[in-house]
Amino acid sequence: MKALNYLKIIALLLPGFGLILFFLGMILYVAIFQSFGLFNLSGEDNFTLQYWEKLFNRKVFYRSVNYSLYVGVISSIISVALAYPIALWLRKPFYGSIIINSILKAPLLVHGLVAAFLFVNLVAYHGIINQIFIFIGLWDEPIRMQNDKNAIGVLILQVWKNLPFALLILLGSIQSIGDDVIDAARDLGANSFARLKKIIAPLTISSMQAALIIIFIGALADFSFQSIAGPTNKYSLSQLMLYYKNNGRWHEAAGVGVTIMIISFLGAIFISYLTKFIFFGRKINEFK
Amino acid sequence: MYRKILAVFSLLSVMLYSGFTFGGSHNWDEVLAEAKKEGKVNWFQWYLVDALAEFIKPFEEEYGIDVVITQGKHTVNIDKAVAEMGRSKGDIDVLSLGFDKIPDLNMPGMFIKLSDELPKDSRTTNLAGVDAKDYAYAWWGNQSGFAYDPEKVDESKLPQTPEEIAQFWEANPGKFGFNYENGGSGPSFFQNILRVMGSADFTSGESSPEKISKLKPGIDYFNKYADKYIITAGNADSIQRISDKEIWMAPAWEDHLAGLQKRGEVRKEIKMYIPSMGMNGGGNGVAIPKNAPNPHAALVFANWLLSAETQTGFNRDFGAAPLHPEADDSSALISNSQRAYRQNWASNPFSKDLTDHFIEEVMMNR
Repeated sequence: MKALNYLKIIALLLPGFGLILFFLGMILYVAIFQSFGLFNLSGEDNFTLQYWEKLFNRKVFYRSVNYSLYVGVISSIISVALAYPIALWLRKPFYGSIIINSILKAPLLVHGLVAAFLFVNLVAYHGIINQIFIFIGLWDEPIRMQNDKNAIGVLILQVWKNLPFALLILLGSIQSIGDDVIDAARDLGANSFARLKKIIAPLTISSMQAALIIIFIGALADFSFQSIAGPTNKYSLSQLMLYYKNNGRWHEAAGVGVTIMIISFLGAIFISYLTKFIFFGRKINEFK
Repeated sequence: MYRKILAVFSLLSVMLYSGFTFGGSHNWDEVLAEAKKEGKVNWFQWYLVDALAEFIKPFEEEYGIDVVITQGKHTVNIDKAVAEMGRSKGDIDVLSLGFDKIPDLNMPGMFIKLSDELPKDSRTTNLAGVDAKDYAYAWWGNQSGFAYDPEKVDESKLPQTPEEIAQFWEANPGKFGFNYENGGSGPSFFQNILRVMGSADFTSGESSPEKISKLKPGIDYFNKYADKYIITAGNADSIQRISDKEIWMAPAWEDHLAGLQKRGEVRKEIKMYIPSMGMNGGGNGVAIPKNAPNPHAALVFANWLLSAETQTGFNRDFGAAPLHPEADDSSALISNSQRAYRQNWASNPFSKDLTDHFIEEVMMNR
């Protein structure tokens, strides 16, 4: 009878979870084996480490890893950090809060490519920002801001795009915290920062982790913002993967793809533990 | 009895052959009749799709064949053709592909030999150092050079050599840009600088660490003047920045600039030249997969694309360099005298190793 119940559960899960597992598994399987010389599209399959060796011997690979990590980490932290005060502000409904909430979520509806092109129009040599600053006399001549070396443009776009997403995840969680809890903390002498650090953040840690991880993975694998508004002396990992793929170097492209997956996986685990450590410290086991 | 069996076997073989493979019909009138019956051709083309849809209307009216142009990317179209190789009938009738992609493809396995099927005419199957061996013919010629703003640049002193280009950079820092991805105009530039300044043999595709090390003078040149030029995001970005007066000079493709000017997307004053040190020429070919769903219509369309009249039209409407000797090239942006400076792309694997080396030693140092 017990076995029958298990079978029932498996049968019920299969259409959804099974499909996800199958397709995800297939992609992982093909990418990993292709990075080792198998699934060769233009010749014989041959198991080899040479493609990984080539990647590890190139500066462009390490620079891409560093750069993608930089964009992923900074974007996720800033997005979530900005989303918290807004979510706290919108915790209690007030006149106009629904409209504000809707406006803040508008970037979710705009495709990244469109946003990147609009942004480039703003910061171009003769773009709107340069024209305004020259007009008001702040600058004598246009400043070159497009495709800046420090990827400030990409970070602005990432935060613009991901902040509403973080807000969406955090708002529900923050709204579910009862007034009693907040009031009790206040009665015990907790100031605003202490309430955020010791009450609100620990109680919303699951949502915070979800937002951080999802934004980190998305920004790490960014292609559209980087290819239009990103620095021209760096490749994001997705860009590097496409560079190899467009040159018919599928095995190296697969190696970069596997790298993205590994970093995403390790990054998710790291974010999960780090946030728990920050907010629970040594009490991490109690949290479990 | 033996002869009868042999005759029947031979007949069956011919029937089977004609049933499983396309071709064998050299009678162009029959091809035309079959093409009209098919009535449709799927052209997998990746650029100027809307403008070309207008351009091909006379063909559709003349032959009664609808041309469906897809919106796919270049590499995606090629990947699709590769993926469909095993299918008895694919989706692609006519495939446009850059000549630089041809060495990476199994041309005899994927495409029909056009010389066996098309009427005799002047065709270009050897372009920019790549021999397509009649499995593809060039239908679109392009030439890279330097686009410049005549308002800012002294036309009597256009830089011709690496030394003169360096002088231009010194005199006008930040006013010269080139790309190393999203298009081949920048790669044409750095490849020619590396060729002229170094001692590597660019006529051979052979690659080795020793050969790559011979590129050092050119690599040092780019690193020495790194803060004097800018890197753009692609072919289009380079031209756009000249039009926007941000920069004054950049490598560009002749047909690309002409097309943007004709559509009013960039300033018409921008001019172009080929420096005497040389810039690469290239082109795109047309090929018909063996499993084309409308093979006769595909042949008729390919034949039309390659004709002198159509090639004249490409030059007139798009600024493309004609690839038929009887075509008129009077609408070109670049004078005929400068065409002598045309260079071929370095062949693979050397070309790929060179690009990797450039990115590694120049771009990664910025």
